[in-house]
Amino acid sequence: MGKTEKDFIELLNQNQKIIHKVCNLYMNWQEDKEDLFQEITLQAWKAFNQFRGDAKFSTWLYRVALNTAITFFRKDKKNAFIATVSDIPELAIHLERDSIEDKTKAMYQAIAELSKIDKAIVMLYLEDYSYAEISEIIGITANNIAVKMNRIKVKLREATLKNFERI
Amino acid sequence: MKGSKSITMELDDLKGLINQKLMEGSPKMTEGNFTELLKGEASSVISKIKKSLWFEIACCALVVPLFIGIAFFSSYSSMKIYFGLFGVIFIPFTLIFFYLLRKINEFDQSVLPIKQNLHQLIKMLEDFTHRYFQFNMALLPICFLFALFLGYNEKEPIAVLDNLYSKLKVTKSIYIGFIIGYCIAMVVGLIYLTKWYIRKLYGKYIEQLKLLLAELKED
Repeated sequence: MGKTEKDFIELLNQNQKIIHKVCNLYMNWQEDKEDLFQEITLQAWKAFNQFRGDAKFSTWLYRVALNTAITFFRKDKKNAFIATVSDIPELAIHLERDSIEDKTKAMYQAIAELSKIDKAIVMLYLEDYSYAEISEIIGITANNIAVKMNRIKVKLREATLKNFERI
Repeated sequence: MKGSKSITMELDDLKGLINQKLMEGSPKMTEGNFTELLKGEASSVISKIKKSLWFEIACCALVVPLFIGIAFFSSYSSMKIYFGLFGVIFIPFTLIFFYLLRKINEFDQSVLPIKQNLHQLIKMLEDFTHRYFQFNMALLPICFLFALFLGYNEKEPIAVLDNLYSKLKVTKSIYIGFIIGYCIAMVVGLIYLTKWYIRKLYGKYIEQLKLLLAELKED
């Protein structure tokens, strides 16, 4: 194993949470998650020579992972729009009412229903990236990110309430 | 009782829990797992295009010497011109394929912001599909019209065709009419088929990418 590959795997291993999160957010089924995980790993490896270390590896990996997830389409129906909470395999079990867990599930489903671009913005927001940092990863101005984030929050609030009532 | 109307459903309130939920069910990967993953094959559209380009290049590498060889050794002058021209036209296309491959490799190794990445990917796919279409269309005039012209002007008789011609007892005008009709039908059919094939392979994907890019239009 060459030094570069060893370094890469070490860094990837330390930051694997990022890839897991992106896969869980963008894919609903285990098989698709595994495929996307591999695709992100390979894509990151291909681009690793371009990583200069002037940005944090985690930020760089987010960029690779989100770019890969956004342009990763599945032909089958597995990725079809999820209509109800029970359609998400992970969410279908142990639904407890009136709990913070319910709210989290309702919010999680609302996030799962967002567009691919909105999901990317939410994901970075959840990681406490500033609007300026998010704008660098997404490629639009920080002001625009702020506007989009406000809209997303409203959308999520409404969708979460609906989902919560269904639980 | 849920009392849901009064419950705050804000993203910020649930940030930590959502982050936890995003990690649920994720297996802990080891360095060995990552080493294994690196041995796998990519399944992105870009890697499919790369494979397709390598296939085209391999075909060109096979066809160019073969056709030029036929052009040199055939005893029919029409065959010499036909295959010679075919062989020559494949050379610039091979160079174009290599150019596209280099561009795709450069793109594949870059890590751009999402908007720019989408923009580049769309541009690359459109470029590839245009060149692919042009390549197929460039061969059509040679395949049909040029072949017709050369065949018609061939001085030395081709025994197989002459036998068929006399057996079917067709007049010269019917024969020419049939050939022209056949050429037109084939050209139109092939244009339609190539467009359909390209659209089937990449059309829907490009449209989906364009929709994503449209979402990132500045407000």
